[in-house]
Amino acid sequence: MNHPEVVAQLVEILTPLAEGRVAVIGEDTELTGELALDSLKVMDLVLAVEDWFDISIPINALADVRTVGDLASTIQKNRGENA
Amino acid sequence: MKENPRLQAVQAVRQELSAIGIDPFGVRIERIPSPTEGLIDGRPTILAGTNNYLGLTFDPDCIAAARDALETAGTGTTGSRMANGSYAGHRELELDLARYFSKRDAIVFSTGYQANLGMISALAGPGDTVMIDADSHASIYDGCRLSGANTIRFRHNDPADLAKRMRRLGADAAQALIVVEGVYSMLGDRAPLREFVDVKNEFGAPLMVDEAHSLGVLGEQGRGVSEEAGVLAEVDYVVGTFSKRLGNTGGFCVGDSADMDVLRYASRPYVFTASLPPATIAATRQALRTLAGADALRQRLRDNAARLHAGLDALGFRLGAPPNAVVAVLLGDKLQALKFWDHLLKHGVYVNLMMPPATPGGESLLRCSVSAAHTPAQIDAICAAFASWTGAKA
Repeated sequence: MNHPEVVAQLVEILTPLAEGRVAVIGEDTELTGELALDSLKVMDLVLAVEDWFDISIPINALADVRTVGDLASTIQKNRGENA
Repeated sequence: MKENPRLQAVQAVRQELSAIGIDPFGVRIERIPSPTEGLIDGRPTILAGTNNYLGLTFDPDCIAAARDALETAGTGTTGSRMANGSYAGHRELELDLARYFSKRDAIVFSTGYQANLGMISALAGPGDTVMIDADSHASIYDGCRLSGANTIRFRHNDPADLAKRMRRLGADAAQALIVVEGVYSMLGDRAPLREFVDVKNEFGAPLMVDEAHSLGVLGEQGRGVSEEAGVLAEVDYVVGTFSKRLGNTGGFCVGDSADMDVLRYASRPYVFTASLPPATIAATRQALRTLAGADALRQRLRDNAARLHAGLDALGFRLGAPPNAVVAVLLGDKLQALKFWDHLLKHGVYVNLMMPPATPGGESLLRCSVSAAHTPAQIDAICAAFASWTGAKA
C-alpha cells in the first residue's frame, strides 16, 4: 500500500473522531493540535489503527508522530513498506 | 529565568484550579489520630482516600517492631544495598515474602513504583517486546520507557486482544513480557487472570502481575487475584507494594526464576537507590506476619466495602466495579467532580479526585478506598456526605 492510500484510510478512521472540528483532514493535519485529540484519544486511535491494518505499533514508535502523514509513515514502516 | 515550556501544560491546570479556588492536589493532613481520621483545614475528617486498606499504620505490633528497629539499628541505611551493604532485615524480609507467596526468591525495592520500574527494565531491553494493558499504572509505563523495549498496549482486561497482538509477534512472542495488574487502582476492577494465564501458556511467554491493590485481601491467604484465580504458581513474577495493605512504604517482586538474584543487579532502580530504613523493614515484616492470619480484618474490609458500595448504589451513583476495597463514583464532567470533591471535604470526608488522563474512558471520578479500620458509622457518614450533594449524579 502506498503512502497516499494509507493516508486515505487514516482519514476514514479519523473522520468520526474529529467530530467536525476540521473541514478537510489530510496528510498535514495535526492529531493533537488541529484535531484536538487528547493523549487518551490518540492511544484509542492507535488501537483502532492497529486493528484496521492488522499490525501492532509500539508506543515508543509514536514519539515523533505529529501529523496524519507521520502516522501513515509509521504504519508503512511497521508493514515493511517504504514510507 | 526563561519559562520552561515543558511545565506550561501543568501550569495551565494549576491556574485553572486556582481560578476555581479548589486545590485537590495540595491537601494537607494536619494531624492523623488514627488510620481513618485526620484533621484537614482544622476540620475532623474521615479518611477514605488513603489506600490504608487494612488500617495497619497504627497496628501496635507493627509500631513496636518499628520502634525496636529504630532504637537498635538507627534511622536509616544511608546508602544502596549493592554499594553500601544490606542489613540482615532486608534479606529476611525477602525470604519472608518468598515463603508467603511460595516462590523461589524475592527482591525488595525502596518503593512500589520502583518495583515495576526495576523489574520491567531489568527483564526487557531494546529490541525486546513488553505487552501491557492499556489502563496500566504509570509505573508500568515508566518501566517500559526505562527498558527501551518495544511496548505494545492491548485493550484493557481483554485476553483475546492480547492473544491477537501476541500472534502478530510470530516467533518472538515467547520472549515478550506480559504485564497486567490484579486490581486496577482507578475503578477497582479485577483482571481475568485465568484467561491471561491461558494466553501466556499458549505462547510460552513470561507473565508479571502487579498485585499492589489486591495483596492482603483477595485470595484465601491474601496473596491477591493470582491466588484467588488459582494461578499463583503459573504467574512468573508478582510485584507489589508495602504501602496500602502493609501500612508502610516499599515494593517487592517475588518469582520462581533462577535469575532472581541476577535481576536485582541488572535493575538500576534497585542499584542506585538508598535501601529501606530498618524501622520500615521491621514494621513490614510484622505486617506480613499479621497479614497471614488476618481473616477477621479481611472480612471487616469486605463488609465495609459492601456497605459503602450498597450505600452509594442506593443513592443512584454510577460505580466503577462490583464491591471491592476501591469504590469509584463515575462523574464524567471534570468541573462537576472537582466541586463534588470539595463539597465532601467540607463535609468532613476525604476521598480522591481522579481526572483524565489518569482515568480510563476520559471520566472524572471520586475514588474511595475503604479500610478495615472504618467503623460502620464512618461508612454511613461517608454515604451521608455523598447524599448531601445536590449537583447532578452523572
